[in-house]
Amino acid sequence: MKVSYYPGCTLKDKTTNLDDSTKAAAEALDIDMVELPEWTCCGATHPLTEEKIINLVPQIRILSNVRTEGNDSVTTTCAFCYNTLKRANKAVIDDPIKRQRMNAFLKDDKRIPEYDKETVYDFKEYNGETKVVHFLEILRDTIGFETLSNRVTKKLEGLKVAPYYGCQLLRPPEEVDLDDPENPSILEDFLRSLGCEVVNFPFKSECCGSYLSLSAPDAATRASHTILRSALKNGAEAVTLSCPLCYYNMDKRQDNILKLYADFSTVPVFFFTQLLALALGVDESVMGWNKHHIDPTPLLKEKGFLS
Amino acid sequence: MRAVISTRQVRSEFVARVQDLSGQDLLGCYQCGKCSAGCPMTEEMDIIPSQVIRLSQLGQEEDVLNCKTIWLCATCYQCGTRCPKGIDFSKIAEALRYLGMGKEKEVCGPNHIPTEIIAEAPQQALVSTFRKQGL
Ligand code: SF4
Ligand code: SF4
Repeated sequence: MKVSYYPGCTLKDKTTNLDDSTKAAAEALDIDMVELPEWTCCGATHPLTEEKIINLVPQIRILSNVRTEGNDSVTTTCAFCYNTLKRANKAVIDDPIKRQRMNAFLKDDKRIPEYDKETVYDFKEYNGETKVVHFLEILRDTIGFETLSNRVTKKLEGLKVAPYYGCQLLRPPEEVDLDDPENPSILEDFLRSLGCEVVNFPFKSECCGSYLSLSAPDAATRASHTILRSALKNGAEAVTLSCPLCYYNMDKRQDNILKLYADFSTVPVFFFTQLLALALGVDESVMGWNKHHIDPTPLLKEKGFLS
Repeated sequence: MRAVISTRQVRSEFVARVQDLSGQDLLGCYQCGKCSAGCPMTEEMDIIPSQVIRLSQLGQEEDVLNCKTIWLCATCYQCGTRCPKGIDFSKIAEALRYLGMGKEKEVCGPNHIPTEIIAEAPQQALVSTFRKQGL
């Protein structure tokens, strides 16, 4: 399968471990995934009022570039990028006025590659043709979890993992449409295909506080604590997720949680692609374990997945 | 909270503007409270999301533009996903933030965040914060 890859800003800086493990896992699974050239920030958050229509521009430029690259679909692992790209795409499909305004605004847009200043790419009229798929959807719908399970070389047997979805992967369901917003199963099925033991817990789609982490840090600490405590109470040894901001709130913020809730015990947090790469026997240098605030290696060693 | 409710306020341009900006049927809300019940941020809020809607329906512009709630909404879309009337409160909150910012109200811009946090925070958090809470 051939697909464009849109990593998003955070993956090139704060969470290179998500970027590296995604690329390594895709390679191990023979997915022909090529990073888009000259991509920009997707805007991070979908504009929710009509007055902010200009905030759809970066997404549409990215989606049009996928066509210029000769691909039909684009994939990403960041839940925020996935949400904004997918919703912007639906906005131009559903609303002819938005479609017209985006195309009129971007008509003279030019892309000049840094490595080849002679070639100029003009903006290609865009009417919602690109398909936006989360990397999890490739695993579920293109490869299939059964096939994935057969390709796993190191079964992560006995690892009790709580799947955490958060908000952007699932909602609003009529626009994002990845899974059931109240009772999702894609991460559970994914974890089972790797051999993990799935820990069910009631807060898997509750918000971690998201970007309020910066303006109201205590609110994010409280929200993340509620989620992690529930996962631990239900027997989790680790939590897995796909969003770099959830990761920040759940991993880094455990320091703040400990200050507020002395009886809390820390728990390692994995990107789902790290578990995938580990189970596929990918070289460990891509995991970036040293980027984690709560070191996951003691747990992985104890389980015999790391030497 | 003491409130003066008059037909002038209920029919004010403010109510129409919020409906227009958010694209939501503000008057369609029948105050069941489901949005507030599922909201993970109510603990920090001064009034709950359904109260923001009620006050907006009644044209209480001052109260809703000055409440903390609209700035403590994490835009997680839980409320809109569960509303039996198909009303997305996250869009109403965004409309109110937009109207609040029009009055030059900046809750969290680059100068409000300590440098060490800027250095460690994910880019998406910075961009989202400035888009939702900066000028
Ligand atoms: S869930 Fe919907 S109808 Fe019920 S109070 Fe909230 S906005 Fe109103
Ligand atoms: S979108 Fe805002 S108001 Fe709605 S549930 Fe989430 S935090 Fe609460």
